[in-house]
Amino acid sequence: MRRPSAGGLVALVVLLAAAAAWVVVALLLWRTRVPSDLTLPHLDERDYFTAAELRDAHEYERVVRLLLLGSLATTLVVLALYAWRGARFLRESAAGPIGSGMLLAMLGLALVWLSLLPFGLLELWWQRRHGLSEAGYGDLVVGGWLALGGEFVGLSLAILIVMGFARLLPRFWWIPGAAVFVGISALGAFVYPYLGAGDRLEDPTLLAAADRLEREDRLPDIRIDVATVSTETTAPNAEAAGMGPSRRIILWDTILDGRFADDQVVVVIAHELGHHASEHIPKGVAWYALFAFPGAWLIARTTRRRGGMREPAAVPLALLVFVGLQIVALPAFTAIGRHMEAEADWVALETTDDPDAARELFEGFSTSLLAEPDPPAWTKAFVETHPTILERIAMVEAWEARRDR
Amino acid sequence: MEQPPSWGPGPATGGRTPPHPVRLRVADDRRRSRLTVAFRLLLAIPHLIWVVFWSLGAFLAALAGWFAALATGRLPGALHRFLAAYVRYVTHLYAYLYLAANPYPGFAGDPGYPVDLEIDGPERQSRWKTAFRLVIAIPALLVMSALVGWPSASGGSSQQGQDGEWTSGGTAAGVAVLVAVLGWFASLVRGSMPPGFRDLVAYALRYGAQTSAYVLLLTDRYPSTDPFEPPPPQPTPSRPIRIVIEDDEGRRSRLTVLFRLPLAFPHLVWLALWTVVAVLAAFVNWLATLVTGRSPSALHRFLTRYLRYGVHVYAFLTLAANPFPGFTGEPFRYPVDLEVDGPDPQNRWVTGFRWILDVPAWLVSFAFTGLLFAVALLGWFASLATGRMPVGFRNAAAYVIRYWAQTSGYGFLVLTDRYPYSGPSERRVEPEPAELPPGAPEPGTRLAPA
Repeated sequence: MRRPSAGGLVALVVLLAAAAAWVVVALLLWRTRVPSDLTLPHLDERDYFTAAELRDAHEYERVVRLLLLGSLATTLVVLALYAWRGARFLRESAAGPIGSGMLLAMLGLALVWLSLLPFGLLELWWQRRHGLSEAGYGDLVVGGWLALGGEFVGLSLAILIVMGFARLLPRFWWIPGAAVFVGISALGAFVYPYLGAGDRLEDPTLLAAADRLEREDRLPDIRIDVATVSTETTAPNAEAAGMGPSRRIILWDTILDGRFADDQVVVVIAHELGHHASEHIPKGVAWYALFAFPGAWLIARTTRRRGGMREPAAVPLALLVFVGLQIVALPAFTAIGRHMEAEADWVALETTDDPDAARELFEGFSTSLLAEPDPPAWTKAFVETHPTILERIAMVEAWEARRDR
Repeated sequence: MEQPPSWGPGPATGGRTPPHPVRLRVADDRRRSRLTVAFRLLLAIPHLIWVVFWSLGAFLAALAGWFAALATGRLPGALHRFLAAYVRYVTHLYAYLYLAANPYPGFAGDPGYPVDLEIDGPERQSRWKTAFRLVIAIPALLVMSALVGWPSASGGSSQQGQDGEWTSGGTAAGVAVLVAVLGWFASLVRGSMPPGFRDLVAYALRYGAQTSAYVLLLTDRYPSTDPFEPPPPQPTPSRPIRIVIEDDEGRRSRLTVLFRLPLAFPHLVWLALWTVVAVLAAFVNWLATLVTGRSPSALHRFLTRYLRYGVHVYAFLTLAANPFPGFTGEPFRYPVDLEVDGPDPQNRWVTGFRWILDVPAWLVSFAFTGLLFAVALLGWFASLATGRMPVGFRNAAAYVIRYWAQTSGYGFLVLTDRYPYSGPSERRVEPEPAELPPGAPEPGTRLAPA
């Protein structure tokens, strides 16, 4: 048996240390304000929703799931074919290696967009049929085609970073490369609220409630904006954005259109403040960093046979690996998302002390979004970035039982 | 006295296609009578009235000719002669209005005007093309509207509306109208029409005439957008800023054509960033050139790179070239490339007032964008369908980009003090017209046929 070399041993030790550090950081990030001994009760969805509501949600989601599976499979097939034959498009470039790499990356994304267009059109048709979208088909095609321009700019920047470092450090580009991407991610999370064009929330009742919740969460005054999306969709939503001084809450105007009572909207605001109180945006950047470094390393490893990321011909394969890794890691990403959302729900229950409003809000989400209260496990694993509706109601019940204990 | 240049039907590009059945002949010496220039629009009033009646007759004749051509596959000789005279007359009238020619035109559309048409006799025509002539003509009409305004040869007239905006035939004006306005001032001051302006108007008139002839069934040959066809009779001079086109026979990748605009976004962002630096460098270059009479080499190189990069990006975006360009404006790497001479000595007076002197060129460059947009958009559909960019569209786009580069190099970047040339083909620069010898006929009188 061959004895490992000193270099190999060093590499093994470094790898083990990195893995240990990864686990430690992940455990730290996984900490939550949801009590560890909390047990969610088993609920029957029929106790909360009518048979017609459940049937509608099931029929709607069934098609959406089929479209999702179809688009995932199509993406992989297209990228696999592109990884095999895509390098031939090098002849369409008069740019240098990095410029040619940009072209190949953009064409790969363009082909994926083109192949997913039928799925997008079908999904839009399905949403319009169920009154969930107001968007037009032309908007989807032309708007999506134009929006590719913005994505191409980002993609070109990514290729510039990767190939630029790969030409300087052919074997270790992934270390500075991943670090730069994490930096860009943090910067993006910070500036994102400034890019939106929402109007300030002016409802005095909601603003007063938000002030009270901020005091409960020990948060400074956080601006609440209203984004106009009702011209495109009827889906209700809200988000927490920004870090530090750029922290903001963005309410979609669809949540303020009268379908949800004020006390339910207050729960939404409390939930989003819960994200800020639990530092979920910086934690999200940290999670991104945890995945970015090993992901970049895997891309570096797999593209070596094509000359590494310093060669434009490796870009189509890198795209396949990148998307493949994202699909493989999807259950982990969604689990992290659900974990954070559950914590925000818990914080909202603590600060509002209004379980009835929370329960009605979640029930309203299900009927407004035609979301299945208790979807199949694989859907939950690959799609659901929030706890299922039934889990959210169960948390309300558990919180109420704990309070009354 | 200077011999007027004569552009006859030259050999077609590469000798591969026969000459177009409708050809423009220019035998103009660029001399203009200041008196007739000053009152040109008013002098044209009788023609503008007459052309309305003739247009009505031409419409009826074309309608009758459409049925005849559908039935027999050929336009009857009498109708052909009538419509050919009409197209010739309208070309004379527009040449007079747009200052591409000096003498007052006749009312009958007889041959012999300094800007004249040669129109071949009736030929067999495809019945399919005849049946759908108006539909097929739509792209040509779009290009024509960008060049000469809309409509050209169907009785429209140039006029200044109440808001002061120049219109032609009641809709937006083409680049030729703007050039005519600028040429009006130049002709009033100098007594001659600048050669670039005259040649640009001649190109627009040629295209307008070919489009009209196509719509009126004089020929089933599609109008040629190619500004370099026919090639100029004299050798092309070397200008300090020039475009070099590598003939790729128009081959285009359909995939990159489909996503051409999004693919150009990274370049447009980079170009915008580069422009910020270039503006600062150009200002320093202007100051240095003003003081030393010559652009510093380092700045000249940097600004040349910037300008070349812009040419590459616009050539890619408008489908004048196929491959994805590099980001550094490197020379000899792109099929539509830019050559810039120098740095050469520059006149300090011209440098001092450069940005004012450049205003007319910028106006023309701005007006050219309509043509560029039209050929890029139509070329996009053509390239998607056939995998090839029509050479005429490619060359028209390159022509506009070349003018933009010369305008930028002259005014904004101060790379040369040679004024941009707005004509399509760069040909030998004609000397200024000599003073009239005693006894010579006054400009404005009818010249003998060339």
